Amino acid sequence: MDEVTITDLTKNFGKLVAVDHMNLNIPAGTIFGLLGPNGAGKSTTTRLLSTLLRPTEGTAVVSEFDIIKSPVQVREITGVLPEESNHTIYPSLSAYENLEYFARLYDVPEEDIPERIEELLTFMDLWERKDDKAGELSTGNRQRLALCRALLHRPKVLLLDEPTSALDPIAAKRVRELILGLSKEYKQTFFINSHNLPEVQRVCDQIAIIDEGKILLHGPTQELRSKLLAKQEFRIRLVGDIATASSIAKSMNFVEEVKEEVDSILVTIEDPTENNSSLMRELLSSGIKIVEFAEEEASLEDLYLEVIKGGDA
Amino acid sequence: MGLNKSMLVAKTDLKMAMKVNYVKYGLVATVAIGPIMILATVGLIAFTATGADEIQLIMQMMAPMLSPMLGLIAIIPASLIAANALVGEREQNTLEPLLATPLTDRELLTGKVLSSFIPSMALLLGSIVVSALGSASLLMMAGWEPYMLPDLQGLFLLLTAGPLMILAMNSIMILISGRVSRVYEAYQVSGASVMVFMIPMLLPLMTMGGDGSIDPASVLFSNIITILIAAVLFVITWALAFSRFNRDRMVSLV
Repeated sequence: MDEVTITDLTKNFGKLVAVDHMNLNIPAGTIFGLLGPNGAGKSTTTRLLSTLLRPTEGTAVVSEFDIIKSPVQVREITGVLPEESNHTIYPSLSAYENLEYFARLYDVPEEDIPERIEELLTFMDLWERKDDKAGELSTGNRQRLALCRALLHRPKVLLLDEPTSALDPIAAKRVRELILGLSKEYKQTFFINSHNLPEVQRVCDQIAIIDEGKILLHGPTQELRSKLLAKQEFRIRLVGDIATASSIAKSMNFVEEVKEEVDSILVTIEDPTENNSSLMRELLSSGIKIVEFAEEEASLEDLYLEVIKGGDA
Repeated sequence: MGLNKSMLVAKTDLKMAMKVNYVKYGLVATVAIGPIMILATVGLIAFTATGADEIQLIMQMMAPMLSPMLGLIAIIPASLIAANALVGEREQNTLEPLLATPLTDRELLTGKVLSSFIPSMALLLGSIVVSALGSASLLMMAGWEPYMLPDLQGLFLLLTAGPLMILAMNSIMILISGRVSRVYEAYQVSGASVMVFMIPMLLPLMTMGGDGSIDPASVLFSNIITILIAAVLFVITWALAFSRFNRDRMVSLV
């Protein structure tokens, strides 16, 4: 069953079309990533889904609630981490007071509030700082606090706009683990805006690429990667002269492209099942010692660039 | 509509404001100007007057001007708090998460209105009590009959037009919150609205006689005019504020 259904969703700001007839279906429990460059329409989409903005055309249904007809119900079941969320915390309130305020606004049962706050702050390593004014916390800690705020009422759908943008690598990893954990345990649906491709690659089951308000591509992450990146690239790490190895590879008629790196060459091969062994034999016979011969995993970055480039063309 | 949610918003706004010393003491200091001026004037009169008739005449002349002044000064904090309530939240980027909660427009706006109305009314009533009791005490200390400033006419004005103006100020802030992006712009609009209280200060002066006496009927008339203007201003701005509040515009205008 789809948790988020977006139908012809459009948002204009004057003459600017920020979101252009978007159609998307996101199944329940999915971690969905919306990828796109700055100004592509990602944040506007999140704001539309969280009912902060009203669509110019079209609509969306979150869980069973229409964002135009039932905005209050939509807000009850969604948790929102806004863009630059580290700035969205009340600086004069303590970390605890910030969460307490929002827990009450979201109707978290009074008796559950202390426990939920402690659980989230402890998980985010902020429990020791609970009485500190939020304005005195570091950027990363404020972002973590904002994330706690979005999770407080255990929403069915989480709308996260650049959730790890202000976090250090360790904190970012914890957030990714948290997202994966919540998705597994509570079957929450995540709608994540990001231009952090490795992050999306690690976390999201489904991705869509958006540019100029239009969805250019949508589907399961693995499927899109293998479909769009049919070429197979192999990394050959070796001991010996890289230039010699490179020229040997280039001389083979089934090799499409060769890139040289410090200790290896990256080779794009046609029909690798047939041709890999020939290339390997040729290199070995020239006295080159092969340390590793492995398929390079196609990255989302390649996919992303490919799609955006295609859109420009 | 859940008044609990509105009260929660109001209480939290107040809590935040009171945590900032310059806001807390700034508001009290601003409102204190009215009673200080009244008590200083009454004190001077009490200890320099030569007779009861002289005091009576001076007090009757001063009362129509000092009472609206008390109102004018007391509603300045209302405009400052109200300007911060929505425009300030947007300026410090805290509005978006608040709008993303299940608060209805009515709950949110009522909360914001209460967050300004409660402290403003407390400050207004406080300044009335301090001025009235202080002026009566000073006259008694100097050996004269007690006379309260504000007098009954003034109390009538302050306790009717005062709350209406505070509420109107809040409505104006809600109305302009989708049109101005900075708090100082909101302050400018609120500053203009405060000027309504100049009417009862200036109108009675037109009837001032050669001996400095003011016709009590003109005071009553100007007070009623002020209350009517405040009421009309309140009703129109309140209706417009609640019917035209637009989350879309609040979020779009950055």
